[in-house]
Amino acid sequence: MIATSIAGEARPSGPRRLLRHLLFSEYLVLYLSLAYFLAVLPFVPQMASAEVMRNILSDMLPLLVVAIGQTFVLIVAGIDLSVTSIIAMASVVGASVMTGDGGYLADSALAVPGAMIAMVLVGLAIGAFNGFCVNRLGMPPFIVTLTTMMFFSGAAIWFTTFHTETSSIANLPHGFVVLGQGNLGGVPHALWVVAAVGIAAHLVLARSVLGRRLYACGQNRRAAAVSGVPVGRVIAAAFLISGACAAVASILYTGRLQTGTPILGQTILLDIIGAVVIGGTSLFGGKGKVLWTVFGVLFLVLIDTSLKMLGLSLFSVFAIKGCVILLAAVIDAVRTRYAARF
Amino acid sequence: MNATRLRLVLLRNAPVALFIVVLAVFGSLSDRFLDAQNFTNILIQASHIAILGIGMTFVLLTAGIDLSVGAVMYLSVALLGIYLADVPPLLAVPAMMAAGALFGLVNAFFIVRLRVAAFIVTLATLFIGRGLALWVTETRMVFYKDHILSLARAEWLGVPWAIWVFAIVFAAAWLVLNHTPFGRQVYAVGENPDAAAKAGINVPLVLTAVYAVSGACAGIAGFVSITQVGAAASSFAMEKEFAAVAAAVLGGVSLFGGRGGVAGTVFGAVLIQTVQNGLVIVNADPYIYPLVTSSIIFLAVFVDSQRSRILERLGRRRIRIEERPV
Repeated sequence: MIATSIAGEARPSGPRRLLRHLLFSEYLVLYLSLAYFLAVLPFVPQMASAEVMRNILSDMLPLLVVAIGQTFVLIVAGIDLSVTSIIAMASVVGASVMTGDGGYLADSALAVPGAMIAMVLVGLAIGAFNGFCVNRLGMPPFIVTLTTMMFFSGAAIWFTTFHTETSSIANLPHGFVVLGQGNLGGVPHALWVVAAVGIAAHLVLARSVLGRRLYACGQNRRAAAVSGVPVGRVIAAAFLISGACAAVASILYTGRLQTGTPILGQTILLDIIGAVVIGGTSLFGGKGKVLWTVFGVLFLVLIDTSLKMLGLSLFSVFAIKGCVILLAAVIDAVRTRYAARF
Repeated sequence: MNATRLRLVLLRNAPVALFIVVLAVFGSLSDRFLDAQNFTNILIQASHIAILGIGMTFVLLTAGIDLSVGAVMYLSVALLGIYLADVPPLLAVPAMMAAGALFGLVNAFFIVRLRVAAFIVTLATLFIGRGLALWVTETRMVFYKDHILSLARAEWLGVPWAIWVFAIVFAAAWLVLNHTPFGRQVYAVGENPDAAAKAGINVPLVLTAVYAVSGACAGIAGFVSITQVGAAASSFAMEKEFAAVAAAVLGGVSLFGGRGGVAGTVFGAVLIQTVQNGLVIVNADPYIYPLVTSSIIFLAVFVDSQRSRILERLGRRRIRIEERPV
């Protein structure tokens, strides 16, 4: 401890300054992604192909939308474990509305818009319930969203059994599938959607009163309350936004898979939270940005893709992913401790 | 004031009332439910979650969390199946506990020394632990020999073996938390780490110990679970960490540290298992199991949060900042 503090007080020389600059840079995770990309390139040269790049992008998009919603919740020092169940529930509800096999709006012109509205409503409703429990009933976010996660994951599977004998609802209308896979002006529809969500989220966080209030609630709830911030409503808003983002992600996933399935997203919960935290958003609130989350998701997807292409076994994929999350968390902790000293 | 007191009494006993309601409902639906043999089954089925939850309680009492317990269960069971296949259980169980405790020490190193949030450390080690277990098992299903499988039916003094383990772990944890200096230190650290440090408690040591305890309990839970399941697939003990947290919280353990105890956790684990057992006995649609279980956990946490709100209101000092309406 003493040794490090003496070293810290010494005048930084060239490489040291560069290191410190890198460590404190907002773009640290982006640099790490680039470094990682360059490091694995000799082993898997095909990583640089347009095909793989396109895959990385399309893997990133739905994950990014949920992660952006999660960023809002983490900023107010909450956590939303229910996002994967929202993805699953919205997927099967949306599919049940529009499927050609006896959907509520089958073969009607309203099928696709109706289904999408239903999906977003599912997200908003579950998000609102989470927000209500945390805000009005004073329950801890971890447990509220854990129980909603268990409940709606189960409910999504149960709901599916009413509509089909198989495990997923297929035969979605052409209009919806095209939405998931087509493109507009050479840019995939999904990218347009995610870009719009990302820019809107950035504007809310960086430029709006709500954004200021979100950070204030996360940094010091009591001080925020004393300063006149409607803490309860701000926290509820964060959960509502997270629910809506998860629903949008569900639209993208369902469009890609062309089926509504209740196990959609079951395994990505830890990826979502991991990506946001790798980006630098704090689990203790008050710190986080949309751009950081973009980098975090990029980093995680890059690692996932490269490990798959390297043909590594399942165990190394798990272990390496864990080490990477741990490494990112340690870097963040070191960075925070240094920042506190200067 | 009297009405408030009455509400407090009602809220405090709500989980017990919930348990009685559960017994009454399933008991009236099936005459096989309220049967001594069935209660033995419930206890056996609840034992591994309860043991996992007991370890988790230590961590939760210090306001931490251990998401890696399911992975530790799988890892310890993998070690048992691959390297300790012929070792008698009396030696194998301590070895599994040691492996779990070692894993807990690794968690503690990152949490205590490098001061990384427990949530993210144990999230990462969850992946690493499952990865290690897959490496040990070469991603194959692990099968166990008869001397382990026979324990599923083994009894001592007429009581099944799994219940003995459950009872011993519970008694030991209860004694440690309630009747030793270490137990009081765990509560003190959870209540207020700064105050605990000022009072001369070695806070890093206490924190390190609770993660080791949690890992060791996961090792025992793995053993108890494998005697019942008989084989370990790669999905073994997946998401058990959430079940353990749910059991603890259902039993009144606070996620913010300092409040609750192992008796509550055991109660929570048994209550969840009773409900699931009841649903099986009355032939309920299997798809609604998670719906019922999660609703009950939700209800219990709701009741608990209402109770702490009233307590907080009663305990609040009269001088306070006026919260201005906006």
